[in-house]
Amino acid sequence: MKIDVGTIYLLVAAGLLIASAVKDPAKTKKALAVTGKVALTVFPVLLLIFVLMGVIEACVPRQTIVSWLGSGGGVLSIVLGELLGSFALFQPAAVFPFAGFLRHSGAGYGAACGFIMSAMLIGISTLPLEIQTFGGWFTLTRNLLSFLLILALGVVFMVAL
Amino acid sequence: MAKTIRTAIIYVVVSFVIWAAVALVSPAGRNVVTGAVYNTFAKVIEIVVAVFVIIGLIQVWLSPQQVSRVLGKQAGWKGLLLASTVPMLVGGSLLTIFPLMKTLREKGARTAAILAFVSAWSGKAPLLPLEIEFLGWRFAVLRIVLVVPFAMVCGILGELILEGTMSNKRGPGVSSP
Repeated sequence: MKIDVGTIYLLVAAGLLIASAVKDPAKTKKALAVTGKVALTVFPVLLLIFVLMGVIEACVPRQTIVSWLGSGGGVLSIVLGELLGSFALFQPAAVFPFAGFLRHSGAGYGAACGFIMSAMLIGISTLPLEIQTFGGWFTLTRNLLSFLLILALGVVFMVAL
Repeated sequence: MAKTIRTAIIYVVVSFVIWAAVALVSPAGRNVVTGAVYNTFAKVIEIVVAVFVIIGLIQVWLSPQQVSRVLGKQAGWKGLLLASTVPMLVGGSLLTIFPLMKTLREKGARTAAILAFVSAWSGKAPLLPLEIEFLGWRFAVLRIVLVVPFAMVCGILGELILEGTMSNKRGPGVSSP
């Protein structure tokens, strides 16, 4: 019998949940409320991302993704992955399925890494809030520095995997 | 809560409109999109549910506010090392991380720790099962291991740049050596 990875994760989660409930039922109730809110926030985003993945699969030829984001593109493919990530307005949970889809469609590991890291850390849409909270110079430094360091990280991924 | 539901409805409606538009243009395209949605959901549903439960548990047992409060008090290299590792466990998006960074700063953490905090947060340990499923365990392990030095370098370099150029504009909450 083949044991499904998903089932193992579910069992682990259930185990932790029971342990938490034994230790503190009130806290566990709160945790489940958080889970519900996260699910309500993330599931609709996942739906949209999966639809977009299908649309890209149907409309964009694999060759296009390979030539833009494939590891043959070298450093440029990482930069393109980063730019894509910087503009992506993704929930972090949706980043990995989309990155996996890109990888499956011919993108290299470097570009996938660039996409994931910049989708998490660099946000065109969050710039106004960051500037308001920390000032323009801090925001510029953090985002540019992250972009450059992610590029270096992407090179490591391209070479190592 | 009402806002969350409204946003959720908007996402679902937009998804459906895109799907319908594709279906109108080409039935083959519709099948590709339907297949992508169905197959990907089937692939992730168990993992996602498990991950959400774990995120909820982490949130209450190790609240982000608690993390930033503790990290804010730790000075020096120990603080930097903690700031480059612990935030991996913190959930949320960039929008929820900024307020935590602000708390860190108000608690007197050095700039390097604040920058390391946000960089390390991108490690996203609770989402590891998803990352392994979609990109393979080698990719996931390499990324989570490299996020630590990534966060430290980002913190140290960023601090050098920011403190070097802003030494006379430094706020009262930021510690100086």
